[in-house]
Amino acid sequence: MDSNKKYWKGLEELNQTPAFVKESKSEFAEPIPVEDVLNEAGLSTRTPRRDFLKALGFGLGAVTLAACNRTPVHKAVPYVIKPEEITPGIPNYYASSFNGQSILVKTREGRPIFIEPNPNGVGLTQGTDATTVASVLDLYDMSKLQNPQLDGKDVEWSKLDSTVIAALNKAAQAGKQIAIVSTTVNSPSTLASIAKLTDKYPTTSLVQVDAVSYSGIIEANKNSFGKAVVPSYNFGKAQVVVSVAADFLGSWLSGEEHSQDFIKNRDYKSLKNGKMSRHIQFESGLSMTGSNADVRIAIKPSEEGAVLISLYNEITGQSVAGGTTNAKAQTAIKLVAKELVASKGAAVVVAGANDVNIQSLVNAINTQLGAYGAIIDLDNYSKQYQGSDSTFQQFLTAAKGGQVGVALFLNSNPVYNYFNSADVEEAIKKVDFTLSFADRKDETASLLKAIAPVPNYLESWGDASAKEGVYTVVQPTINPIYNTRQAEQSFLVWAGETTNIYDFVRQNWETNILAGTGKSWKEVLQAGYISKATAAGSAYSANVDVASVAAAIVADAKKIAGEVELKLYESTTLRDGRYANNAYLQELPDPVSKVTWDNYAAINPKFAEQLGLGENGKVTVEANGKSIELPVVLQPGQAMGTVSVAVGYGRTSVGKAGDNVGKNAYPLASLINGTVQFAAKASVSKASGTYELAQTQTHHTIEGRNIIRETTFAKYQKDPNSESGRFADSHKTYDLWNKYEQPGHKWVMAIDLNACTGCGSCIVACNVENNIPVVGRDEVRRRREMHWLRIDRYYTIEENGNKYSKENDIANVQDFENVTVVHQPMLCQHCEHAPCETVCPVLATVHSSEGLNHMAYNRCFGTRYCANNCPYKVRRFNWFNYWNDSRFDNYLNNEFTQLVLNPDVTTRSRGVMEKCSMCIQRIQAGKLTAKMENRKLVDGDVKMACQAACSANAIIFGDANDPESEVSKALRNERVYYVLEEINVQPNIGYMTKVRNTFEA
Amino acid sequence: MSSHNESILREPLMTGKDITYAQITDDILLPVENKPNKAWWIGFIVACVGASLWVISVGYTFWTGIGAWGLNKTVGWAWDITDFVWWVGIGHAGTLISAVLLLFRQNWRNSINRSAEAMTIFAVICAATYVVAHMGRPWLAYWIFPLPNQFGSLWVNFNSPLVWDAFAISTYFTVSLVFWYCGLLPDIASVRDRATGLRKRIYSIFSFGWNGSVKTWQRFEIVSLILAGISTPLVLSVHTIVSMDFATSVIPGWHTTIFPPYFVAGAIFSGFAMVQTLLLILRKVLNFEHYITMFHIEAMNKIIMVTGSIVGVAYLTELFIAWYSGSEYEMYAFANRVAGPYAWAYWAMMTCNVISPQLFWFKKIRTSIPISWVLSIVVNIGMWFERFVIIVTSLHRDYLPSSWAMFYPTWVDVGIFVGSIGLFFVLFLLFLRFLPGIAIAEVKLLLKSSSLQHKTKLVQEGAFPEDQVEFFRESLRKYDSVTEEEINALRKK
Repeated sequence: MDSNKKYWKGLEELNQTPAFVKESKSEFAEPIPVEDVLNEAGLSTRTPRRDFLKALGFGLGAVTLAACNRTPVHKAVPYVIKPEEITPGIPNYYASSFNGQSILVKTREGRPIFIEPNPNGVGLTQGTDATTVASVLDLYDMSKLQNPQLDGKDVEWSKLDSTVIAALNKAAQAGKQIAIVSTTVNSPSTLASIAKLTDKYPTTSLVQVDAVSYSGIIEANKNSFGKAVVPSYNFGKAQVVVSVAADFLGSWLSGEEHSQDFIKNRDYKSLKNGKMSRHIQFESGLSMTGSNADVRIAIKPSEEGAVLISLYNEITGQSVAGGTTNAKAQTAIKLVAKELVASKGAAVVVAGANDVNIQSLVNAINTQLGAYGAIIDLDNYSKQYQGSDSTFQQFLTAAKGGQVGVALFLNSNPVYNYFNSADVEEAIKKVDFTLSFADRKDETASLLKAIAPVPNYLESWGDASAKEGVYTVVQPTINPIYNTRQAEQSFLVWAGETTNIYDFVRQNWETNILAGTGKSWKEVLQAGYISKATAAGSAYSANVDVASVAAAIVADAKKIAGEVELKLYESTTLRDGRYANNAYLQELPDPVSKVTWDNYAAINPKFAEQLGLGENGKVTVEANGKSIELPVVLQPGQAMGTVSVAVGYGRTSVGKAGDNVGKNAYPLASLINGTVQFAAKASVSKASGTYELAQTQTHHTIEGRNIIRETTFAKYQKDPNSESGRFADSHKTYDLWNKYEQPGHKWVMAIDLNACTGCGSCIVACNVENNIPVVGRDEVRRRREMHWLRIDRYYTIEENGNKYSKENDIANVQDFENVTVVHQPMLCQHCEHAPCETVCPVLATVHSSEGLNHMAYNRCFGTRYCANNCPYKVRRFNWFNYWNDSRFDNYLNNEFTQLVLNPDVTTRSRGVMEKCSMCIQRIQAGKLTAKMENRKLVDGDVKMACQAACSANAIIFGDANDPESEVSKALRNERVYYVLEEINVQPNIGYMTKVRNTFEA
Repeated sequence: MSSHNESILREPLMTGKDITYAQITDDILLPVENKPNKAWWIGFIVACVGASLWVISVGYTFWTGIGAWGLNKTVGWAWDITDFVWWVGIGHAGTLISAVLLLFRQNWRNSINRSAEAMTIFAVICAATYVVAHMGRPWLAYWIFPLPNQFGSLWVNFNSPLVWDAFAISTYFTVSLVFWYCGLLPDIASVRDRATGLRKRIYSIFSFGWNGSVKTWQRFEIVSLILAGISTPLVLSVHTIVSMDFATSVIPGWHTTIFPPYFVAGAIFSGFAMVQTLLLILRKVLNFEHYITMFHIEAMNKIIMVTGSIVGVAYLTELFIAWYSGSEYEMYAFANRVAGPYAWAYWAMMTCNVISPQLFWFKKIRTSIPISWVLSIVVNIGMWFERFVIIVTSLHRDYLPSSWAMFYPTWVDVGIFVGSIGLFFVLFLLFLRFLPGIAIAEVKLLLKSSSLQHKTKLVQEGAFPEDQVEFFRESLRKYDSVTEEEINALRKK
């Protein structure tokens, strides 16, 4: 209803006085003296007290109000259109493969965050090696190139393509070679795409070269059997294994797969059946494999051939000249030879040397032992290392002669990892057009004209064939993040093909691999692999002229024999150096020396004494006319007069984490007999200055404590309880604490010390799964690494039949060559009477009804009392804000790399304690899945990250309340003991005694 | 109080001639009522520099994290808790002097209790700073108390010795503060009565309306006795509970039932040493020689010697029990102390704490001011090492040799420790500037019973046999505040 009533506010309005009328026009009753205040005079006047107080009051009020603002809330924005397969909070798994191993990639909301082995795969189905688990971090590496480059400048792909095609055409017209220099290519689709390029440009050739070469084996097999291949080995069938300098559980060929098979004859199940294989190792440096050997003899690199000649003589009864004169080795060889002969068909000898003659001799020995067909498979041979040192030599010669028009470097970085990088650089200069497919500006790529960066394997379509007849698929789990393009796609584009890579890979599979198998592409994507391998290889007989081979061995040995000999080796953590920018791998301690973030010269403590070196000393190692300065590690077990140095370090152009870590040892290698040799005559001299290596363990013996319990196989056979120290019923324990019921689950773990090889892939898996920060070299030096799970490694020195495991006794030892090693994974023991729980003042760490020791990060205020009171010292404190602090720029200090974080696990701020949670997020996920499926949780539903990564099945996790679970069965084993059980903390992790299958005197 | 005279065999607790009550007040209030002298300013400036080092070091720690210290995965406590226990221990002498000696009617405490109590309070303040500073997230320090909260049904862990510690330290601090302040009331009133203007107003507020009536004095005496009764068990409980931080753990070298008495003895030992350090300077600089006499110095030296011997016995007992236990971890922990990488710290501790106090068996040494002062500092160095040995050498090599590690302090560790000494002296020097360093009212009680002046008068009156007087004369020879003339005056007139 309309109203025309008018209310007046005062008499002035009613009367409409002139003053009111005038004032009502302006907003303020009195004019605001803005002009007066803001003119110069106004600004320079003194502020009256009242104005000052007004301003102060307003300012304070305004600031207070502003400060009352709530903490900004970061809202997660839900999908507008949700992808069908993604449910937030539920991981998706995709089958893929890494280095030929069939894996499962765990993705969360479209981000790959964890790599697990494909349990239904082929070959290595149980566990992944450290590089595989760590590889997920490489996807989020900030150091990668974001665009293709030409002459060091970002360009469009089209520009790059036209340049490359012009160069290819020019080379083709000039009749010059087009070389694709690559590490081993076993991917069928890569090979097919290269074939397309070769069709277009017939002068194209593929030059395969591996930084760590197996040419010697390939050549030897070509001579012995007419098959130029590296065989595959099934150590699962071997009862006696003799390795001469082959780190076959670590970096040699396919270490992780070998471990999986090899340990099956040594773990608790095998022992339960009364069986255990015997492993004898001859080597110079203490390798991870050597640390697991039953008998280990330290020899010089130049003696490797001689040892094999002696072994051949003992086995065959012949007397080929050139056998070893090393007394210790001779005794061992006599015993070993008997064993080998006795277990013909289940015995194998492997050698690490990249030398045709040594490998030919090994072929002859293995033929005598009947290893071909039984253990060594030449039919389903390995395709992991096909590089040929001589082919690469030919390429270098051709390039230097100006015969190469275009060189394309694929996964290849010879400027860094070829022993003669000056030669490579010279060759590159003579090539008209050079291009690298590197994902970063590495040592080689930065010298080339163009870079066509490839995406990470987690962004790519592709495949691999690590073994003849076995094909694994690589499928992307995320869209390419940067403007990258797969090398295969580039080959196709340059060959004038328009097919995209997905169609190309699929067509290649459908026509060449799947044809006749009855399997579809979709099925392959689900399974991840297809195997057309024959069940077992057939028997072969080596055709070797032993006398002439032996003569050549003796002659070549003289070239490397010297007072001091150098042995280069591939470390189990960083491998050949291509993963050097992976912070997880850099901080993974070496399985034997426990050194992180550096390579070093390993020398025998006595030898060091002779050189006048102690801890933190430095040496200059000189070989083949080149020298590097390195910190020393006093390595028990190292042969006297030898020095071992790991390759793969000293990258200069790989990224923030890996640049200038250690020294590049590749230049110390040499070419003998057409193959790259990692052994050389050397000289070692004390260098000035000191250098403190970042070691995670600095005390190396058990001090005679019973934390490690070990026995021999002979004793075990007589009494399985041998040395386990069980006092089960003979000892009454008293208890101050209340007993709590654990009616649901009771999570426990069993660790088999006989299975653990110490490789450390569990540590990396734990890091990735639980967002454990990498802290860098300085913090490791300060003994602050954050690893929730570590592997303790203890030495026992044997001299004259006495075993020394105490520091004081070892001071008097003269011979440090004879050492036995044990690896003990150590993590939170989830004690039932946890000392940490009673002392926490704020109940931040408490026990669960499922037997777990929980850690409530939010409640922790960081007194560190719990860590002090932990007898196992497994608690880790966030001394700084490691995961997001500019001083810890190793990897996580940027939003991109933070995408690798597991969203199920909180990141910990500074001042908070953390430790193994028994992957509580995995337990919860397992319970939820079972609940959704309306069933009980069954054994095997929940796997710990460490367990998933362990190829030796050394870690068994499960529910102790289920008497049929694998862990319950394992813990009923006679070998089980609990570390520090005498202090009655009642740990929930049982260890099984270490059993050594030594020669009985 | 005394209806009959004190024995002449007892040495005087106060010296000087022609002392009157007014003279005492004038003497003691001299530093309070006048501008500070040069010595005070020098001391204060040096202390302020130290305190600012503390502010910088603690500030840096709070800003960057505990990683600024030298701690690691194996050694989670080092200088922080060493310093904490050291300061708490030093605090003990104050309570012992003020409470236990009061209950035992040891009148000589009257001259030293004020400063000793002040020292206690400042030492506990220094100790408390470590409680907060050593935390990973110090802004949550209040969680240590069982406060009602909105976090849900969250409570502290009453099993944890750190919670007991929080109660013990806070109770100790509160009771000590109240005791000290009650004792100060009549003296503050004296200052008030002599002051003018603003000073008078301020001191009158802090004197809580003290009027000096008989009733006031009576209540004062009763409150003192009650507080002494409450404090006495605290002398035992505080360090007992601090020792339980270690004794209730499972770490070899910590898990020791001997700790409570051993820690208490050590605390009194270090406390008296600190009182000695402070008072020897105080009496010189502030001209308190007549009030804090050689008798006091010698008495405290005797206590240092006794408690030092107790501590020594404890060390030897520990070694014996470690061997007798047959536990390899226990044996190793002690073998490692004696001969491990930190053996130098162990032997520093042994020398300073066990051997050096034994020098006090010699009267020449225990009555020598410079030697007493040096030894008092040596004792506190030793007691610092004792805590370092217990904490660091036990932790750095415990059960699993794989985790054995060394601890190396950083500049921040050193800065916080040195800085806390600076902080302590800033507080102590301010105390001397604004409050009477000797309990005026209590010292006055001695004038008519235990002073040399009084005894001289009695001797001159012939109240004692000559052989006793001769003994008395002899005992005065050690006094630096008594002249030969005064001794000669001790003759029957």
